[in-house]
Amino acid sequence: MKTLIKLFTLISIITFFSCGDDDTSTTTGSMEVEFDNIAIVNGIEQQLSLVTAGSTSYGYTNSLGQKFNINLLRYYISAIELETTDGKVYKDVLEVSATGSKGYYLIDEANPASQVVELDNIPAGKYSKITFTVGVDSTGVLNGATGGALDPATSKMFWNWNSGYIALKFEGQSDASNGGVSGAETVTTTNPNGIAYHIGGWKNIAGTAFVYNNKRISFNFDTDAVVDAKSAPHVHMTFDVMGLFNGHHKVDFTGNHNVHKPSDGVDMAHNMEEAFNFDHIHQ
Amino acid sequence: MELGGRGNLPALISFIMKKWFFFLPFILGLMACGQDNTDTENLFPELPSYFPDPVYPVDKFPVTQAGFDLGKKLFNDPILSVDQSIACSNCHVKAVAFVDPQHALSLGVNERHGIRNAPSIANMAFMKEFMWDGGVVHLDFVPPNAIENELEMDEKLAHVVAKLNRSSVYPAMFKNVFSGIDTITAPLMLKALSQYQLMLVSKASKYDKVRQGKDQFSADESKGYEIFKSKCAACHSEPLFTNQGYFNNGLDVVFPDLGRARITEDLGDLGKFKVPSLRNVALTAPYMHDARFKSLMEVLNHYSDGVKDSPTLAAPLKSGSQLGIALTLAEKQSLIAFLGTLTDHELISDPRF
Repeated sequence: MKTLIKLFTLISIITFFSCGDDDTSTTTGSMEVEFDNIAIVNGIEQQLSLVTAGSTSYGYTNSLGQKFNINLLRYYISAIELETTDGKVYKDVLEVSATGSKGYYLIDEANPASQVVELDNIPAGKYSKITFTVGVDSTGVLNGATGGALDPATSKMFWNWNSGYIALKFEGQSDASNGGVSGAETVTTTNPNGIAYHIGGWKNIAGTAFVYNNKRISFNFDTDAVVDAKSAPHVHMTFDVMGLFNGHHKVDFTGNHNVHKPSDGVDMAHNMEEAFNFDHIHQ
Repeated sequence: MELGGRGNLPALISFIMKKWFFFLPFILGLMACGQDNTDTENLFPELPSYFPDPVYPVDKFPVTQAGFDLGKKLFNDPILSVDQSIACSNCHVKAVAFVDPQHALSLGVNERHGIRNAPSIANMAFMKEFMWDGGVVHLDFVPPNAIENELEMDEKLAHVVAKLNRSSVYPAMFKNVFSGIDTITAPLMLKALSQYQLMLVSKASKYDKVRQGKDQFSADESKGYEIFKSKCAACHSEPLFTNQGYFNNGLDVVFPDLGRARITEDLGDLGKFKVPSLRNVALTAPYMHDARFKSLMEVLNHYSDGVKDSPTLAAPLKSGSQLGIALTLAEKQSLIAFLGTLTDHELISDPRF
């Protein structure tokens, strides 16, 4: 009987481990990454304020002296990677299904909760670098209808006519605009001063003319973010909306006020990339 | 002790009862894996040997009876349009292989006209890209183009979903298809619509029966098939009768509809459109993206005498200074006879659809 009990135990253990369950011996922790949308005016950081579509109250001025306001600012962050000081990489898992998705985050200025990304099951370590994609690459598109942050009905970030997700959507109004924008979410076609910038284009295929406007961006932290079972660092990133218009390419609201296809968004995608910044870490 | 053979069940049970502790560890270990070994229902049809594998992952998303029924109900329900007036089936009519027999350009809400002719949606399971310009890269993403186009259904996905959630029948149907859900969402609706569309497989035409040795072409059909293979099959390749490429077939020299260039934003693709499948082509008049030709003879007359030159014209339609495809009247008549063998009467009379 003793032999049988030993055999019983042995077979149970072997069969159990044959399932390929995760190795849980490594300590893990979590991290929060906040995306704070701001406007840097004369070197001073301001929090954004949204206005209702149609408002003629203009709180911002671009570098060309054109006044504008903001109805909507929304963008995707995906495929986040963290790197330790000794070069180990943690990759946030990307998963898609009709009932949900993982690893895709829709940052919406109108929804404060959306601006903090929670990363879990990060192996303990000292992290010194973050990398992420602004936009949604092929995995998020080619698997068909997807739920969660990628639900086309709730995100309102999907181009039906040219399947793919808008990486960044900005809508507002400027007294310098000639109006008549089409295909916007908040601004009507009859609005005489609407501005709408939908920046997208995910087909990164060599030898084709497809325009790829998603951006993969890396930042080194100024101090290490220490992840272990006890401490969950908070990484503070910023997105400067002024950089979208005053960056590498100056956006003139007279004439360039209506972007709805990949080729028209190339310059602003460049600006978008440079408008993100690492700010600080709370350990 | 003998365990095999009929009638020995009591002996087997008795053996297991006595030695249960020997089997228990295996059972416990396997239960920990949480594997589901039940055979998954999949209504997706068996395909003829010469068919390609479906592009849509039907193994990952098997077609179930409940999923198909839900997709069929949605396909035929004008709830998808803003004023409850237009269903998918308005412009994709079963009797004519799922095209619009009445309107050259699709008729949407408030008598609005679309910009292109409704294409057949048979054999969508095998397509890599959709629409005349190929802008849609997954079958699930096809329906929103009709639902949210202001010239067609002029509705918003979020509003359709709200209407479905308020309905007296849809919530239970969705919960029956997608176990564990609380509410209807757009991706679930799109997956359900795909369930229906995946089943619209055209594979039982006379052409198929001939290929399977169950029927024979007439002399004229046979002659037409030979002409087809030498002069048409480069683009309309068998067995789907499309190579799924994009070509300018010489309709115009200026292009009010950019075609493929709308998607690629490459002037080298100006005036190119997706090669349509010729299955059921005898039923799917009018022809071309803008429905300019009313009959197959008009189409063939275009290829023989009407092709116009432009920088993006398909290479096979130009040899030296000669434009188009040389075809005699007799050859055209034979080709039309052959094209008639691509009509799938089983598909258009299938009571399931």
